Amino acid sequence: MTTSAVAVSKVSKVFNPGTPGQVDALVDIDLTIAPGEFVSLIGPSGCGKSTLLRLIADLIEPSGGTITINGKAARQARLDQEYGMAFQQAGLFEWRSVEKNIELPLELKGWDKTQRRERAHEMLELVKLPEFAGHMPWQLSGGMQQRIAIARALASSPSLLLMDEPFGALDEMTREHMQAELLRICAETHTTVVFVTHSIPEAVFLSDRVVVMSPRPGRITQTIDVELGGDRDEDTREAGGFYEKITEVREALRGIEQPVVGGVDDR
Amino acid sequence: MTSRHAVATVAWPLLFGAIFLALWEAVVQIFDLKPYFLPSPSSILEAFVDNFGIIWDATVYSGTNALIGLIAGTVLGVAVSFLLVRFRFMTELVTPLAVALNAIPIVVLVTVFLNMYGATSDVPRRLMVTLIVFFIVLVNVAKGLRQVSPTHLELLRSYAASPTAVLLKARIPNAVPYLFTALKIAAPASVITAFVSEYFGGRDIGLGRRIPSNFANSRNAVAWGYVLGACLLGLTFYLISMAMESTTRHRRGAAPGGGA
Repeated sequence: MTTSAVAVSKVSKVFNPGTPGQVDALVDIDLTIAPGEFVSLIGPSGCGKSTLLRLIADLIEPSGGTITINGKAARQARLDQEYGMAFQQAGLFEWRSVEKNIELPLELKGWDKTQRRERAHEMLELVKLPEFAGHMPWQLSGGMQQRIAIARALASSPSLLLMDEPFGALDEMTREHMQAELLRICAETHTTVVFVTHSIPEAVFLSDRVVVMSPRPGRITQTIDVELGGDRDEDTREAGGFYEKITEVREALRGIEQPVVGGVDDR
Repeated sequence: MTSRHAVATVAWPLLFGAIFLALWEAVVQIFDLKPYFLPSPSSILEAFVDNFGIIWDATVYSGTNALIGLIAGTVLGVAVSFLLVRFRFMTELVTPLAVALNAIPIVVLVTVFLNMYGATSDVPRRLMVTLIVFFIVLVNVAKGLRQVSPTHLELLRSYAASPTAVLLKARIPNAVPYLFTALKIAAPASVITAFVSEYFGGRDIGLGRRIPSNFANSRNAVAWGYVLGACLLGLTFYLISMAMESTTRHRRGAAPGGGA
């Protein structure tokens, strides 16, 4: 049996334990992701999907349970830069040019200058923005900035890409284009992806598996296999199977008891 | 396009200034205002040119105090802000002190310094400027070092960056514009502090003392000449801080030629 790309076992996370502000963000999470798999985490606000992603990234530590990445403990995996990460904000360093932004993780890994420059240009080819190497971030549109952020996340060739609503701030057209680009890039680089999103069509279009989560306390309620094949393009969005899966995910989300705090449910 | 824009930026204020001076001159002439009430711009300019040597000396004296205080205060402010970010507990010690010192009319401290260093020393005035500049720089730079985007911090953590790397790659670059903002406030403040601190005793060779002493001797046009010198000094300090700030403008994406 091959080592799983991500293995989350009996993980829980409690914020502010022992205080009146205690929050059970996640309870009893089990999730195993195979190498090369694309898995989306979806659920209403407060279901802990971003928290789960941050636990996998070792940006925060679990209150209980274990997480491994490629067989390594999450902390060791972070220290070895086993994964790349992208957020809703592209988070480019505004005082660095585009290529210098992509070089940053390599800089911290101790690559020399020529290697870094070369790699940055390869990554710019990959995200199809080679002519923007010397531009400053503010000169780029939101979609272009996000592509640079993806290039940066993949610069050190990590086997795992962790993404927290990376296309959440983009308009619908750019968003669909970026989704297709992401699938192409992941196919070319054989990257495993854990992708947090609010959008049902986005989750279905991108994923091999959609993990549905529910809040209070955050837990996994259902896992849906999306069998749309590996070769997805714009036509996939209009295929019958696509709608069936969207309906399936939507119903799984409907099944989640909506919190009544804060008034009437407007769905 | 850019050069035309630049010309327009300079031309309009200049034109406005010229009209203002012409009106001033006209009002003085038409209403026959006495020089002790308001001298005309032409007589001020004449007094300025005639007394250029002594006005220059006074300007250099006050300007030197301001500049030394500005540099010392900036260096100290930057140094302490690094300490504050490195040792969190220091923030709790220094912040109340900073607030307290800013709440009192701090310039009166110059009398304390004069008592310590003697009436002929320039140290009290320079110390006063240093203190004013120090707090402006400290507050701003500490904020710049601390208010790094959470996304940047998470990214750096994901790259397993050391605290030193976080300082070099995120905190310091983030604080640079804050430093220039601080200097833009501190530069004119240093000149004002240098003037005002001259009122509390000590040698009477600076602009701050020459202006009232000339008024007291009814040499009004000359006093106004000193005022002109003071304006030019303040303007010089401000322009230098603006020029320094513009060296980092490219990174924030401000519109080229955009005003202050």
